[in-house]
Amino acid sequence: MSRTTSFKLVLLGESAVGKSSLVLRFVRNEFSDFRESTIGAAFLTQTVELNETTSIKFEIWDTAGQERYKSLAPIYFRNSNAAVIVYDITQPPDTSFEKAKSWVKELQRQADPSIVIMLVGNKLDMESSRKTPRELGERFAEEEGLLFTEASAKSGDGVEELFMEIAKKLPLAPPPQRTLAKGVKVQGKAEETPSACNC
Amino acid sequence: MVIGSGSARMGLRDLVKRSSGISRSGETSRARTVSISRRRLSRQYYILTHAGKLVFASGENEQVQSLMGVAQALVSIYAAEDDRPRSIIRGKSRISFLLKAPLYLFCVSDWGEPEHVLRTHLEYIHLQVLSIVTSTQLAKAFQRRSNFDLSRLLEGTEHFLHTLIKRAQHDFSYLTSSLEPLRMAPSLREAAAAALMPPAKFRDLLYVLLIASGRIVTLLRPRKHSIHPSDLHLLLNTLAASPTLTSSETWIPICFPKFNPAGYVHAYISPVTEDITLVFISADREAFNDLQGWKDIVVEKLARDQTLSRISQAIPLHSYSVSAVSLPGLYHFIYKSRQSIQITAPSWEPPYDGAARDRLITLYQHLHDSLHAKAGQAEPLRLVYVKTQHEACLGWMTKPFELYMAVSPHLSKAAVVSAANAVATFMSKEEARVFIKDAPVF
Repeated sequence: MSRTTSFKLVLLGESAVGKSSLVLRFVRNEFSDFRESTIGAAFLTQTVELNETTSIKFEIWDTAGQERYKSLAPIYFRNSNAAVIVYDITQPPDTSFEKAKSWVKELQRQADPSIVIMLVGNKLDMESSRKTPRELGERFAEEEGLLFTEASAKSGDGVEELFMEIAKKLPLAPPPQRTLAKGVKVQGKAEETPSACNC
Repeated sequence: MVIGSGSARMGLRDLVKRSSGISRSGETSRARTVSISRRRLSRQYYILTHAGKLVFASGENEQVQSLMGVAQALVSIYAAEDDRPRSIIRGKSRISFLLKAPLYLFCVSDWGEPEHVLRTHLEYIHLQVLSIVTSTQLAKAFQRRSNFDLSRLLEGTEHFLHTLIKRAQHDFSYLTSSLEPLRMAPSLREAAAAALMPPAKFRDLLYVLLIASGRIVTLLRPRKHSIHPSDLHLLLNTLAASPTLTSSETWIPICFPKFNPAGYVHAYISPVTEDITLVFISADREAFNDLQGWKDIVVEKLARDQTLSRISQAIPLHSYSVSAVSLPGLYHFIYKSRQSIQITAPSWEPPYDGAARDRLITLYQHLHDSLHAKAGQAEPLRLVYVKTQHEACLGWMTKPFELYMAVSPHLSKAAVVSAANAVATFMSKEEARVFIKDAPVF
């Protein structure tokens, strides 16, 4: 019988680079050219079979790329075992690729040091309008020790593969974050009463 | 309730007698001319920053940039005199302003509606913006740079505003700041509420809602917090504007300006079936996992005694025809329970589609204006009667309810009065089905 281990994965990146499209291709094998912006963060799961004895269940946070949600990102990546950082290869490198680089820095500063980071250049189906060369992503990933690939949520090229590659890198011992006793909160929040937070 | 509407009924006869008396003795007549345009263009709504930068325009307009300049100049001219423009009337058009620094909002309309209608729309638009970008974030952004480009922060939410505007055109629940829940058997609503009762450990839980096809089935809240209907409109509108919210579990920060304009609360939104959605609102931004775990328990309870499938079955039965009242000559009505702040109305049936519906809504808005003295009248009226060649309309305010009613213009005044009474009687029997009564608190 195969054993299933759960891992948390977060998608980060500029808005409209195709984070939700990548997830929906992976989870439901769907694609739509006209997707509205994600608001907040959507939670999805998908289980992949790593080998005959091991399955991996991805618990995926598909976060909104808009600037106004930036301060909330740590909620999603703090306990993540893996992060997929997405940029759009049809945009010039100083836009969504630059943003992806800043997400990498932020994760290196604030996320769990063992987090597996995959950098993904999306929209590979639009090769003819490419503005960010593959080498740029490749070189940056190599320097920072990240996994790297290019993919297309639209055609499906490379999508399942990128999640499989992450799955192979994850430690097969049960992830640590679920071992916290129920009801215990990591941060002191005693002062918080049911009124809105001031973020 | 029966006693209530009984005494209200006496009141109505009394009022009619008195007002007939007034017109016979030739005292100051309260009649006034209401001019409602026959051809209406879509209303145009705009948001700009106090620096004159466009934030949002509801329609296409090639000269929108110069229009922003004019609007900003106008506001400045008045500001120099320590004053502010409210409304400009030019021909058949009315331009209404709402100044909420750092934002200015205005609307152009030729519908012939009373002024407070446009102001209410603009207020909702402003609140919807605040639901996305809190007043704290707004203030900070504009403090740093007074010519800040807000459209960047609102990226991806234009659709929320378009949806809001579309809904506000004909939905009387916005103007009356009330809710229109899903119509269903009271026992079914109670069963749903029982399944939604949260465990005591969720200290930061604010509201628990079950929504079917965009309408509220039931709503649970903590004893110490009530919820403002306009906050609920923002939530329902956000759901209506984002089909993705009904396809996967989502955790979104949302600001309820009437609850706290300065900060976000967090909404756990979980689609249960294609039509039915659970929403838990929490002040704790880390509550997702706990709420997700509790959702499984709630869904199991809802499924156990067929509550879910019975709610699904209730969705297509929500609308009812005006003929349910079986009253010849009754065309349409809107009934608001003032105690529960909820409304109900039969569906729009021919001839009330398209232009005729716009006309009737505008007439109702004039009745609403008079019943609430929104245009600076000396006092609110308790009864208003308006007759056009198409229909006669009655607006009637009592302690328990407000009624807006359209009947055949050929009915005598006495027949209109008994029609109003018949609707009141009908509604007193229907209230338990159309309104949420005694939703539990926790």
